Amino acid sequence: MASRTQSTATQARSLYRSLLRESNQFAAYNFREYAKRRTKDAFREHHGESDEGKAKGLLQKGLRELQVMKRQTVISQFFQLDRLVVEGGKTGKQKGDRNDIMRVKDQG
Amino acid sequence: MLRNAFLSATRAAARPVCKRQQAIARPITRINAFQKNQLWFQSARCYSAAAGLSQEEVQGRIMDLLKNFDKVTDATKLSTNSHFSNDLGLDSLDTVEVVMAIEEEFSIEIPDKEADAIHSVNQAVEYILGQPDAH
Repeated sequence: MASRTQSTATQARSLYRSLLRESNQFAAYNFREYAKRRTKDAFREHHGESDEGKAKGLLQKGLRELQVMKRQTVISQFFQLDRLVVEGGKTGKQKGDRNDIMRVKDQG
Repeated sequence: MLRNAFLSATRAAARPVCKRQQAIARPITRINAFQKNQLWFQSARCYSAAAGLSQEEVQGRIMDLLKNFDKVTDATKLSTNSHFSNDLGLDSLDTVEVVMAIEEEFSIEIPDKEADAIHSVNQAVEYILGQPDAH
């Protein structure tokens, strides 16, 4: 039982990580921020879920959402708009190997 | 005769490959006619050297990052060997967020297994120092 709970927690963390990574791929600021906020809120909401079955169901839901998000991020990159003022200019060091102007440094 | 034809065909096929290999190892300086026969000596691989992060720099950057992380409840407890959940009061989701922020800071991607093993500032610093492409 303990090990099964452990694996569910690991899966949840992994899913959380994938969802946050995928959220960062949205080209549009509003979608990007919403996706991150929604992911964080949803995981916070069910943080103390002790029912194994319910947790499994939620993980399945998260995986479906991840698929939707993967599709939508690709689509959003086809229709890029100019950066918003709140995103700041193209200042600072460009990081990573993705050479996109849409990158914005936002932590936490 | 067939053998000769085969040999010449393979030689012709092999030639462009050799040329490309030469292009990888480029001489550092321009060569003049005098130096031309010393080319083997001068050729060097022109790759950029590793950035080489020092431990203090990695620690400082991770500490700055944690200082700005809004869920760290007790900033006074923040030190180089503080534990994310025991000392800083972060839960597992916050830990995931911190590790992702560290990934972004050093522009690397930490695989799930290693990311789950990072629970303290020390472990994070150790992991980053072990990564040659972190910068």
